[in-house]
Amino acid sequence: MNFSKLRNKMMAGAIALVFASIGTQAWAKDSSKPIVIPTHNWSSQVVMAYVIGGIFESMGNNVEYKPADSQAVYEAIRLGDITISHEVWQSTFGKSFYNAMAKGGVIDAGTHAAPTLEEMGVPQYVIDDNLCPGLPNWEALKNCKDVFSTADSGGKGRWLEGPQSWHGDLMPVRVKALGLEDDYVVKFAGGADAIWAELASAKKEGCGIITFNWTPNFTDAEGFVFIKFPGYTDGCRVVDGGDGACGSPNGWLKKAANYKFPKTHPAAYTAFSKLSFTTAQIGQMAALVDVDKMSHQDAAKKWLADNKDVWMPFTQ
Amino acid sequence: MNNISRHLQLTQFAALLVVFFILCFAIDPSENNILWRLPAFLAAVPEMLNSSVEYAMFEWMPIQTYNPEIEDYEDSALLIEVTRSISRAVLFGIELIREILVGGQKTIVAFTSWDFVSENEWAVWPALPWTVVAGVAIILGYALSGRWLAILVGCATTYIAVFGQWEPAMETLSFVLVAAPASVLLGVFLAILAFKFRVFESALMPLLNVAQTMPHFSYLVPVTVFFGVGDHAGAIATIIFATPPMIRLTLLGLKGVSPEVLEAGMMNGCNKLQLMFKVLIPTARHDILVGVNQVIMQCLAMAVIASFIGAKGLGFNLLLALNQLRIGQALELGICIVLIAVVLDKLSLGWANKQIDYFADLSFSQRNKYPLMMAAILVLGVLLASIGSLIFKNEINYFYLIPHNQGITTENFWQSGVDWMVENWYASLQAFNKGLIINLLVPMKNAYLSMPVAATFVLVMGIGYIVGGLRSALVVGGLLLFIASTEWWDRALITAYMATFGVLVSVVIGTVTGSLCAQNSFATRAILLLCDTFQTFPSFIYLIPVIMLFGVTDTSVLIAVVIYATIPAIRYTVEGLSNVPQSLQDAGTMSGVSRIQRWLQIEMPLAFPHIMLGINQTVVFALFMVIIGAMIGTDDLGQLILKSLSDKHGIGNGLMLGLCVAFIGLAVDQILRTWAHQRKQALGLA
Amino acid sequence: MTNETSNTSDTAHTDNDRPVIKCDSVFKIFGENTTELMQQANGRIDVEAFKQAGCIFGVNNASFEVHKDEMLIVMGLSGSGKSTLLRCISKLTDTTAGNIYIDGEDLLAMNPKQLIELRRNKMGMVFQSFALLPHKTVLENIAFPLQVKGTNTKDSMQRAMKMVELVDLGGRENYFPRQLSGGQQQRVGIARSLAVEPDIWFLDEPFSALDPLIRKEMQDEFLRLQEMLHKTILFVTHDFDEALRLADRIAIMKDGVIEQCDTPANIVLHPVTEYVAKFTNDVPREKVLTCGNVMEDIATASDLSELKVSRDAIIETVAEAILSEEKPVAVVDENNEAVGSLHASHVIHVLFSKDQPGTSQDLLRAGK
Repeated sequence: MNFSKLRNKMMAGAIALVFASIGTQAWAKDSSKPIVIPTHNWSSQVVMAYVIGGIFESMGNNVEYKPADSQAVYEAIRLGDITISHEVWQSTFGKSFYNAMAKGGVIDAGTHAAPTLEEMGVPQYVIDDNLCPGLPNWEALKNCKDVFSTADSGGKGRWLEGPQSWHGDLMPVRVKALGLEDDYVVKFAGGADAIWAELASAKKEGCGIITFNWTPNFTDAEGFVFIKFPGYTDGCRVVDGGDGACGSPNGWLKKAANYKFPKTHPAAYTAFSKLSFTTAQIGQMAALVDVDKMSHQDAAKKWLADNKDVWMPFTQ
Repeated sequence: MNNISRHLQLTQFAALLVVFFILCFAIDPSENNILWRLPAFLAAVPEMLNSSVEYAMFEWMPIQTYNPEIEDYEDSALLIEVTRSISRAVLFGIELIREILVGGQKTIVAFTSWDFVSENEWAVWPALPWTVVAGVAIILGYALSGRWLAILVGCATTYIAVFGQWEPAMETLSFVLVAAPASVLLGVFLAILAFKFRVFESALMPLLNVAQTMPHFSYLVPVTVFFGVGDHAGAIATIIFATPPMIRLTLLGLKGVSPEVLEAGMMNGCNKLQLMFKVLIPTARHDILVGVNQVIMQCLAMAVIASFIGAKGLGFNLLLALNQLRIGQALELGICIVLIAVVLDKLSLGWANKQIDYFADLSFSQRNKYPLMMAAILVLGVLLASIGSLIFKNEINYFYLIPHNQGITTENFWQSGVDWMVENWYASLQAFNKGLIINLLVPMKNAYLSMPVAATFVLVMGIGYIVGGLRSALVVGGLLLFIASTEWWDRALITAYMATFGVLVSVVIGTVTGSLCAQNSFATRAILLLCDTFQTFPSFIYLIPVIMLFGVTDTSVLIAVVIYATIPAIRYTVEGLSNVPQSLQDAGTMSGVSRIQRWLQIEMPLAFPHIMLGINQTVVFALFMVIIGAMIGTDDLGQLILKSLSDKHGIGNGLMLGLCVAFIGLAVDQILRTWAHQRKQALGLA
Repeated sequence: MTNETSNTSDTAHTDNDRPVIKCDSVFKIFGENTTELMQQANGRIDVEAFKQAGCIFGVNNASFEVHKDEMLIVMGLSGSGKSTLLRCISKLTDTTAGNIYIDGEDLLAMNPKQLIELRRNKMGMVFQSFALLPHKTVLENIAFPLQVKGTNTKDSMQRAMKMVELVDLGGRENYFPRQLSGGQQQRVGIARSLAVEPDIWFLDEPFSALDPLIRKEMQDEFLRLQEMLHKTILFVTHDFDEALRLADRIAIMKDGVIEQCDTPANIVLHPVTEYVAKFTNDVPREKVLTCGNVMEDIATASDLSELKVSRDAIIETVAEAILSEEKPVAVVDENNEAVGSLHASHVIHVLFSKDQPGTSQDLLRAGK
């Protein structure tokens, strides 16, 4: 048996199981084996992990939390070492997610209500202090490369992009397509922490900075303004045959699960697929930790206690 | 004669440089010029590697297993079933220790089922109060090594508990308590095999070389594919990383046992097993204990990286704290890691040096003094915890378990320290940063990138030839050829540029600091303690303040590299200098040399071969840190290794990239080691 | 007289029925193609042919016997093959050819199990570098052979404690080897080798690593122990004085060949090769020879002095008395019967003549 056959079989099995679970959920009982929820290294994700864990526990399920790298987690879900992932960001993890799905073993478990945006932007004070007049319109960038220049940018302005594994060469291509390549360079950060550290020190110094960021995120609280690039249209990106001179679309925040999950825990899977949080709710979760300095577990407990009306419907 | 050969070497080097520069200017930098860049012969290998691993894991020897959960047969493969059984065994060990320390139900599940646990709410193993664990550890420290160790253990456990890191610390401890003994046993076992069978040794050595120079990140994906995600995967990755030095040191120790001791064992009528376990291994214990120390250090150094693939505990919390830029909290976590390392190291040493009194005529209570004391501590601790539950009612029971991040904290102090640093230093450092990047780093990087591949080969193989003859030249050339045949040559050059810069600065700082500290026994001990601390202190913690000061630039990466890579340079300098024979020092003094002259003309030349081995280690450390520097943001091999965590061909890419880094390290290692060996022989030190 | 001395040693041998150690044409040959050559040689070893093929002879055709309670000292310079010979007999190294019998049993035919039994019960060995186990205390080191044998902890520790007392280390039983001086460490080595009460005692340069004063002290200690214990001893040393001091018989080795194997007195008086003679030249003969060794025929002396000396008396101890007599003194055996005579001038000749062996022998004859 070759690999693709196995994959097809797994996929077919997964689809069949989804239907089966819809049909059988009324009477099937969830397995008592724990549902394994991954925790990554950012607050909203960890709090949401405990929130979802709390929801599952309220339904009588056993839950286990496992730390995992946010990129490597999809392979783990595929192989069944982790059951679900509840924050699949389109632009950051979309590739890893689809890679794992193509190999078989991972299923798409629906999308959160929160509309997401993953885009280059500047902190609020850059706008407030009018460091670059005309922002957030992207054309304003043409005249203020000096505001955004750094030690190693060779006199040009710098875009601090996330790790290359997130969107490949999307931003360098965009810089070029917008005719900004003489004024701006793209620097790939090693991870989210590097971006936050740069944002923190730039804020202290009050200097200009352009970074990749997303919403909902904890930076929403302090204010972060996304740059308005030419609107996204289908096919505007280079991979889709366009010239790349366009901004990011409104993205999705998905949930993923191992293909056996619907069969082993039909009730929990149904709740998980119904589960959907809004930007405000995710922001609340993150703020409990980032602003109120609560521990992640306590934050989750508090959120669950305060928002019964939000999550109870998922379980029914 | 010596003079002539030295002159000859210098001339050879000069000639080599001339040829190198001529080649650099003569070779046309065009994509199709094979002298400029080799075609990527090995471009297809990662994918092949990937599919063969996947074939082996998921398709080779298919078996059908019945899964009662989905009431159907599943296709599985032999290998994955085997590796998953290993995973389960390791996980069971970790969970058993963990649940003894902080409670839980997995061990009960292992003997019953999840259904049983769900239905019976009492079926949860309660956590031991922290006072009991701390008390038992203190008694253990006292029993093994006396008062000072007991005090150290007491301080460490109290710190961990009071600062609210008890649970993550015990989680980390439980995985270290499995990984470290496993590494030690595996290391000793493999070393015995290598000692007994020459063939095995010669097969093992290259593997060890690669394993010790391969960056940790590159085998994380293979480990998750083989063993899954979780504490066991973290432990297995740690074992892979910690075993090679154990093997090496054990083998060194076994080979160092004098033949007469072996003969004495035989004449005393030992059979083969007795000879190995009662004579050889105990006699080699000094080196083996150094190995155990290394294993413990490596295990805790892996605590953070292991959390990438599911290890719970301090490492994961540390990453989380860093992501929130809570540097103070991360620092407290880092100190916990160092404390656990120190305590485990001292306890293992004390245990190995334990002495038995055969003639003491003791009563039962005297003979079982320590177990009885531990039992008393258990009763007392539980009592205290129940009293605590009355006192603190609905609050945290400080006598039972202080929840994570609910203890006292010095976070604000550190946080304001970092803030102060950024506020006061940022502006002046900016100028330095800019100057360094524009005047040094960028030109250096460009120079590396503008080397034609042919010129690089000539230079590196030439150095290999001058230092170690044809054999070295071929070995180095072979390693280089591998890298040049991948599609990552340019990235390897960038890695090499950062490593070179890091090594140069580290060596200068390290040898100077080491030399200064070696002058005084107190300073020597202090600096070695500092080296130990920094070796286990998670480097991730200082990445963040460094980024805040220097931004996402090569400067930040290089500062992190220098902090880490200076450790071996200092350590070996101190060791090398303190091993210079006293008679030579005296001879120098009697010849009337000044302090500086003595250092330059007697101590340094004699210590130099040993320092070279330190530089060798510096290279390996620098390479590791350059790769970890990808977490800051680099465009070298490390960036791709980090990326391989999410790649389609993650296994193949990760391993191949890891090999590229390892081979850079091994090429340098080959040259430095050969050179140091020759010098040692020439000086009569070998 | 030569005949007489060799006769005495012969009779000593025949007193004990069977040799404890018997070596019969023992060869130890090093070299890559030794095994092949041995197969071709088919039992007959042509030394020259082997040497031409690049083989080195560690032991070359050694044959001798050691009898009960006898101390044979193998003496030779480094590289002479003495330690190799010892290791052949203790089977620490494999013998290339020849036969070795321990108490009449064929050592080379023993299987590993028998060998271990033999070592656990019959053999003890002391090493030049002490070879103590660094992680064990004095007591544990001495108890080690017993524990290996399977003796229970209590008994082996008690026995070891007795051995500690025997070698005068009482009070230091819980020290580690590194905390002891060289002499003390070797006492531990000796105690360990005696712990199982072996019949055969091998000593491989036991005192070579010690300072001269300590060495002397240890030799005395060793003689004291041998007085008490009466072991069959094979002792290897490169120190000729030590050999003379301790040995019943000495085997002098050079390049793997036993040049001469005889009593100390015979070696001093009648070295058979020049190599042996080189050692004997500087020997203080008065310390080695007994009156019996150098006495003249009783018949040649007509007028004897009143003084009588014992045949076994070392000359050094009686020289002053003899030299003060003008007439020859009578040498008597244990029954106080005169068996020979010694004249002062003869004593002087024997002791101080630095001539070659031949001439000194001539002198002796001339004295007759």
